Amino acid sequence: MSRIPFEHKLAAHCESGMLSALLKHKGVTLSEPMVLGLTGAIFFVFIKTPHMVFPVFDMRSRPGDMRKNLGKRLGIRFRTQNFRDPAKARASLDSLVEQGIPTTVQVDMFYMDYIPSYMRTHFNAHFIIVVGKEGNDFLVSDCYYPSISKLSQESLDKARFAKSDFAPKGFQFYIESLPQNGVSETAIKDAVLTGIKQGASNMIKLPVPFIGIKGMRRFADNIPSWPKIARNADALSHAIMSIHITLEERGTGGGGFRFMYASFLQEAARLCNRPEFSDMSKRIMAIGDRWREISLFVARIGKDRDLGDNRMQEIRGMIRSQADQEEAFFKDLLAMVK
Amino acid sequence: MPDEATPVPSPELKAEIKKLIIETLKISDVKPEDIDDSASLFENNPVLQLDSVDALEIVMALQRTYGVHIDDQNIGRFIIKSVDSIAEFVAKEKAKASGK
Repeated sequence: MSRIPFEHKLAAHCESGMLSALLKHKGVTLSEPMVLGLTGAIFFVFIKTPHMVFPVFDMRSRPGDMRKNLGKRLGIRFRTQNFRDPAKARASLDSLVEQGIPTTVQVDMFYMDYIPSYMRTHFNAHFIIVVGKEGNDFLVSDCYYPSISKLSQESLDKARFAKSDFAPKGFQFYIESLPQNGVSETAIKDAVLTGIKQGASNMIKLPVPFIGIKGMRRFADNIPSWPKIARNADALSHAIMSIHITLEERGTGGGGFRFMYASFLQEAARLCNRPEFSDMSKRIMAIGDRWREISLFVARIGKDRDLGDNRMQEIRGMIRSQADQEEAFFKDLLAMVK
Repeated sequence: MPDEATPVPSPELKAEIKKLIIETLKISDVKPEDIDDSASLFENNPVLQLDSVDALEIVMALQRTYGVHIDDQNIGRFIIKSVDSIAEFVAKEKAKASGK
């Protein structure tokens, strides 16, 4: 039996929350919004692959990017490992826990059986931190759950080797080392500015039609075609409701990560002594409020099956209006850090 | 569990919140007194049986009525678990805003 003393905390998003907790364990205080902001993870991407009937979107950068950018910007070395053999993965995890090293594992959230079943879906890019072992159960810190929980070895094996998109393939990592003199305030300030620059550039500068503001408009313009491609009202309702889920329920912190980004800008204003970031925080908060209104609108019409062409046009208009607001916001923000 | 600094919410605040839930969700066949203060508003609630869309409606109604912003749905789902937990949160936020 082993249990690493570890400060568990609820968080909005598994990747940013988990990284913030891992850093705290190493004595580095960096809030979850700071992790999101200084890694430049604020984003919009329109996703449509040949096997998808309806396009989807995401409002944060790819899983793993936060860790990589955090490492690069603050000089933190993460040791990452993949496994093909569950027995070897388990042995490695046992050994790390025995050495007192909190270790993050990528899992399919469906197998986290401490979470009530109605909240669990198959999602392969969920991150939890293993902080101990009692008999055959692992002790895990999952920032979507209020306390450290037990997870059976069998469930963890299934979760680490689930198949399909973003398959975890036994992926695990831990903090190997911090910079020799620790993470300095200067390094954090520099990373904040780099993160703002990266996030804003991704939103407005990338010459790719499905990323940033361009992707947002593309997604909006695609919606009016959905009634024609949906096989029935249930399928259309499900697709429309998925907009609500992506905005509010997938660990975004609400308003599609925009509320969390507002908190980041507030902290950045204090840390960097840049009061103008505080004004920008209020602007993105208001934008987040409108995303939340869109979320509620689509959820209502999806639930009521009120899915006529006029409703699709309304959603298109609302998202295009958000694109205009965000374009102006990120242009102004980028101008402040150039 | 409320800590020592958490203000105790008044019965009036709880009654107000029940009324707000009923009005926001336009539930015509439930009265405030039918809602148990400590019962979960979601799972196994024989009276209400709310879902995640209702939860978002309640979050936005709380923001409009009391000026309290619940940014995060993960944390929000523990706040809007029951009338008791909502009242505790509102009372705490009100106290914070008035500097108590």
